[in-house]
Amino acid sequence: MAPAQDTMFRSADMSMVQLYIANEIGREIVSALGEIGLVQFRDLNSETTAFQRTFTQEIRRLDNVERQLRYFHAQMDKAGIPLRRLDLDVHTFAAPSAAEIDELADRSQSLEQRIASLNDSYETLKQRENGDAERSFSVMNIGFVAGVIPRDRVAAFERILWRTLRGNLYMNQSEIPEPLMDPTNNETVNKNVFVIFAHGKELIAKIRKISESLGADLYSVDENSDLRRDQIHEVNTRLSDLGSVLRNTKQTLDAELTQIARSLAAWMVIIKKEKAVYQTLNLFSYDHARKTLIAEAWCPSNSLPLIKSTLHDVNNRAGLSVPSIINEIRTNKTPPTYQKTNRFTEGFQTIINAYGTAKYQEVNPGLPTIITFPFLFAVMFGDSGHALLMLGAACAMIFWEKQLKKVRDELFQMAFYGRYIMLMMGIFSLYTGLIYNDVFSKSISPFQSAWKFNITEEWKNGTSIEATLSDTYRYPFGLDWMWHGAQNQLLFANSYKMKLSILLGWSHMTYSLCLSYINGRHFKSPIDVWGVFVPGMIFFQSIFGYLVFAIVLKWSVKWDKAPAPGLLNMLIYMFLSPGTIDIPFYKGQAFVQITLVLLAVIQVPILLFLKPFYLRWEHNRARAQGYRGLGEASRVSALDGDDEDGHANHRPSVASDEGGVAMISQHVDDEEHEEFEFSEVMIHQVIHTIEFCLNCVSHTASYLRLWALSLAHQQLSIVLWNMTLANGLKSSGVIGVVLIVVTFYLWLFLTIAVLVVMEGTSAMLHSLRLHWVEAMSKHFMGDGIPFQPFSFKQMLEDDDSTAEIS
Amino acid sequence: MANGWSIFIGLIIVILACLAAWFLSPKGETQTTWRSSLILSFTSCYLMWAITFLAQLHPLIHPQRTDLKIMPGHE
Repeated sequence: MAPAQDTMFRSADMSMVQLYIANEIGREIVSALGEIGLVQFRDLNSETTAFQRTFTQEIRRLDNVERQLRYFHAQMDKAGIPLRRLDLDVHTFAAPSAAEIDELADRSQSLEQRIASLNDSYETLKQRENGDAERSFSVMNIGFVAGVIPRDRVAAFERILWRTLRGNLYMNQSEIPEPLMDPTNNETVNKNVFVIFAHGKELIAKIRKISESLGADLYSVDENSDLRRDQIHEVNTRLSDLGSVLRNTKQTLDAELTQIARSLAAWMVIIKKEKAVYQTLNLFSYDHARKTLIAEAWCPSNSLPLIKSTLHDVNNRAGLSVPSIINEIRTNKTPPTYQKTNRFTEGFQTIINAYGTAKYQEVNPGLPTIITFPFLFAVMFGDSGHALLMLGAACAMIFWEKQLKKVRDELFQMAFYGRYIMLMMGIFSLYTGLIYNDVFSKSISPFQSAWKFNITEEWKNGTSIEATLSDTYRYPFGLDWMWHGAQNQLLFANSYKMKLSILLGWSHMTYSLCLSYINGRHFKSPIDVWGVFVPGMIFFQSIFGYLVFAIVLKWSVKWDKAPAPGLLNMLIYMFLSPGTIDIPFYKGQAFVQITLVLLAVIQVPILLFLKPFYLRWEHNRARAQGYRGLGEASRVSALDGDDEDGHANHRPSVASDEGGVAMISQHVDDEEHEEFEFSEVMIHQVIHTIEFCLNCVSHTASYLRLWALSLAHQQLSIVLWNMTLANGLKSSGVIGVVLIVVTFYLWLFLTIAVLVVMEGTSAMLHSLRLHWVEAMSKHFMGDGIPFQPFSFKQMLEDDDSTAEIS
Repeated sequence: MANGWSIFIGLIIVILACLAAWFLSPKGETQTTWRSSLILSFTSCYLMWAITFLAQLHPLIHPQRTDLKIMPGHE
């Protein structure tokens, strides 16, 4: 049976497979599977420690090679030699043979020794040079004790000397102008030359001890000036000799490192892959007698043919007579959840995965999120001008995808990862901006307005005037531009956007609730449909569905004769005093409302009790027919022998039963199934019911954030316009020109920084919350195990050090 | 031109567009993604438009201004 195609609607079908691989080609096969990256191996040696596993030796050796490579890299950094970077998308390495790895290991071993010895000699030479250089300074002064001391210790040095010698000394010092190099860590140190005169051998000895303990280097200086001149001369020649030797050594070292720099990145990748292969091989169970490796793995059922052909290929290439065997095994383990994504859907799926991993094969909320997330964002971010800026940024990131992928800035990488989300957000904000008729807080007037200001006789400039509505014509698309700048614009916009939020929230939640029906059907549990989904849906619709109905009805009725009913009061009185109508709305309103309230109230006990009691009934029926849970079977059968001998439906043969248990339980882990516990189910259902009913109210209210944020966004952009560019446009003359330029840039900068970036982030977070909490709580089970295939690509992406070499 | 019937005309157009999206989505692995995304976006855009249109169908308040001026030469 060919499994259905994997779509984003639910996670892919998974198969548990068993692999029997000849020991000789284990490495090659795992490495080939790592390139495919679709197989997740199970740990078959979980009881053995990391040190007891079969391939620990190899991993240690590779660890050592990796350390050597890192050492080379550190040396290159020190010498300032650039590494030739790798493009991991372009360079793919064929799996190296074992011999190549050995060669690489040997080569890095010898290279390491060479570099270490070069380095050592460089350091010793440098140390000697330093000593001589310091000396060449101390010779300049005359004194009994002379030496060189780090500058930051001078103050302490002076104080200690003064105290111990009670002031019986004369000290002179001067700073060495150029900083000296400490070869051990390549840091520069500032030092001072000092000379201390004192009399008496003991005092001199004391001074010597103190200076040495403070890290000063002492040099003997002769009192005779001729000898001293000779000394200086000698020191200077030695210095120049050392200098040339040093230069040579450094040159050789640099040449060696440059050589390595060319291929170091590739070596690193190879070693990392090789290590991962052996780590994976350690998960396999090794049959010493038959020289085979046995592995268990999860893989998408649809990629089984690909995996089979890969195994076959590797086998053929190795020319092995023993075939590698792969066979699918049936298991009652929960398969991991694998959502196949592409460049476009990856970001949206990440939004969902950040909240939780979907249960295996439940409806994946990532699919509707592709649209609902940017759409709800756009409802809050409705301004076409700002949308264009965002859209431009997203398009640029998508156009220069390849180049920008290399940018290693964390903040930018985050924006880059969400470039397709940004694209969708931009497109939808463009649309909602047109609906709100906001372009950088200004309005556009593509259609004729439905409003008209009729000027009467008594109207003067500056008095209030009210527009009249056309009889037949309505503004066809979005908000009428006549509202823009009107005194009571906010009044209208608030009422409109508030209802818009409720309506959109209701649609979003109803949609999400419907997904729970699909889940109930897919998992073949009708009780979840009839005991959870149906009563929940009726409860939600009879309250908030009715509210939505009322909103739409109120809009479609012309209220010029009767007073318009207040919907909020209507909904409140519907529950507080069912049957009484404050302001009549439509015929039969009292009856409809009482029916709806009753309908909603009845759903609560159904929601509360139907599912737990049904499950209990089902469980008891199964028990009465003699079925037992798998785990308890052996226990029960032991009891059977003693107490329940007389039972009519006693199983005929205990022996065969135990045989069956033993066989099956090979693949049963303890945590896989639970016993039925009525109290637990009941408590769970009580919590669900209370949560669901209260959440219907609070979640609907929560969608009002759509209104609040879009209002804030619009007002903020109006304020920004008035404070900056509006002032610039008002003034004229030379000052006006300057002012326009200044205020324009101020306005542009603040628009991008505050309105697009900051407000955009905030709207995104709110949209995120609406998905995670308000929508996903209606259907998402989210107790899945993420699929983590063994994949070289993924491994290299996750590895931090890869960033340095690519 | 645009009156209460526009809501239903718009609905018909959007339903047609959704049907087109269902049948014309490119085949292959991404078909589900195409279908779901197109239909959802048509629906949500229609909702947004229809709500805005309905809100202005029989408005309870009218725009008021105090900053209007009669320019010389205009009536």
